[in-house]
Amino acid sequence: MSILSSVKRHIDAISTGLKYLFASSRMTVRYPEYSITLRDNYRGMIRYYKDKCISCSLCARICPADAIKMYRKAGEKKMYPGINYQRCIFCGFCVSICPADALEHTPVHDIAWESLEEMIFPPEEFGREWVSPALEEGARRVKAVFDEKRGLTHVPE
Amino acid sequence: MMVLEIIEYIIRLILSPPIFAPIIYPGLVTVLVILLSIIWVERKIAAKVQLRYGPLYVSKPIGGALQMLADATRFFFQEIIVPRDADSIAFLIAPAASLVLPLLPIVFVPAAPSFVAISVEYSLPLVLAISALTPIVIIVMAWAANNKFTIIGGIREAFMVIAYELSLFISALAMAIFYGTLNLEDIVSMQKSLPGVILNPLAAITFFVAMVMATSRLPFDIVEGEQEIVAGPFTEYTGILYGLVMGAGYVQLYILCLVFVELFLSGWYPYIGLLGEIYPALGGVSLFIKAYLLMVFIVFLRSVYGRYRLDQAISIGWKSLLPLSLASVFLSLGLLAAGVVI
Ligand code: SF4
Ligand code: SF4
Repeated sequence: MSILSSVKRHIDAISTGLKYLFASSRMTVRYPEYSITLRDNYRGMIRYYKDKCISCSLCARICPADAIKMYRKAGEKKMYPGINYQRCIFCGFCVSICPADALEHTPVHDIAWESLEEMIFPPEEFGREWVSPALEEGARRVKAVFDEKRGLTHVPE
Repeated sequence: MMVLEIIEYIIRLILSPPIFAPIIYPGLVTVLVILLSIIWVERKIAAKVQLRYGPLYVSKPIGGALQMLADATRFFFQEIIVPRDADSIAFLIAPAASLVLPLLPIVFVPAAPSFVAISVEYSLPLVLAISALTPIVIIVMAWAANNKFTIIGGIREAFMVIAYELSLFISALAMAIFYGTLNLEDIVSMQKSLPGVILNPLAAITFFVAMVMATSRLPFDIVEGEQEIVAGPFTEYTGILYGLVMGAGYVQLYILCLVFVELFLSGWYPYIGLLGEIYPALGGVSLFIKAYLLMVFIVFLRSVYGRYRLDQAISIGWKSLLPLSLASVFLSLGLLAAGVVI
């Protein structure tokens, strides 16, 4: 009996493998050619609007990863936040707490740097706009959909 | 005139079985092609089952088939590091030996009717005996590297040998008993109408499982166990030395697949006479096709199974495989007694 049931289990395992081998379902997004469009409220790179900022320092204080630091320019009284992406964990606390809506998430996450120094953004550069390099080079946009039969798939937008 | 004669002589020399068989088919060149293709096939199959693409960007139009060529080139240019505490001579010789030893039996494996490099009466036990020497090299390798992962891997290899070796030999001998010969060529010629797997399925199953164990394929890749002991005996190897030891497992797989096809799947039958007239070895191409498909199936198992523990593998070896292989011997004897003749 136990031999029979274990033989059956082996056959089950192998046939499941074969089923997947011949079924047409792949989850991989071939990234530089295709790029997943992220939700609008996705917690991606953070954009800073200096004109709205009231220099309250709340963002720097709430940051659990110590990624935000307040910078003061020589001769100026006010301090403005800058970010260190080596540390940021994209938790969004800074965005939530900002009383002046001066911080905002962007749905861009596929950014890479060549050195650690490049990951530090003082207030002047913190305000830059982020563009996905893949989309810039003409990647086709896809979005993730859940299919009852095939599981997670990606369809062109 | 003279030059033509020399060229003709060289061509005749290359085409003579004692040279052609070990060097071109089924020997060295074929093995190289198999190494380059089967690893790609393995990675592609595993990727497909796991909903991925696998190798793709090296030669995209053909699905990344040249990935292995790229990897092999990379192996050649990587630095070879010999650990300070290693026994350097053994450390350097073992990878070469580990590739040559499994390849050696190819001279005794017939590829087509009377097409074999060295024709001997006892080719079956000879092939199995030579390929059974590989574990010794792997243990030497493990000892020479002088590292705890390699030692654990080497000890696992030694344990695995006691799990599969007996069953591998006994199930092969069950077929030899039935056919009344130890010569692979005669065994194949007796399967012209009926493959051995139908007559003695027990022996086929046992030989198959023991073969998967012997070549350390999943679910029995206990020796390498990459999540547990890095790469087992191969942990310290870098560059082309690693390329050699990685290839060795596939070479052994290839040889044992050839033996399996010749024992159970009627070898080079159906014999293609048309190709055979061009060159004798070509007629036996179905042997190669069957062996290759068998290899594809074995590498496919990687994406189905998890790894057994060492003690589980040994208990499979002694509690299931050994009784099965003994039963297959009795099955052969029973078939003989019942007067089944081919
Ligand atoms: S997202 Fe979180 S970790 Fe990153 S800067 Fe804002 S608070 Fe700090
Ligand atoms: S919390 Fe908002 S307003 Fe306050 S310092 Fe940070 S960015 Fe400026």
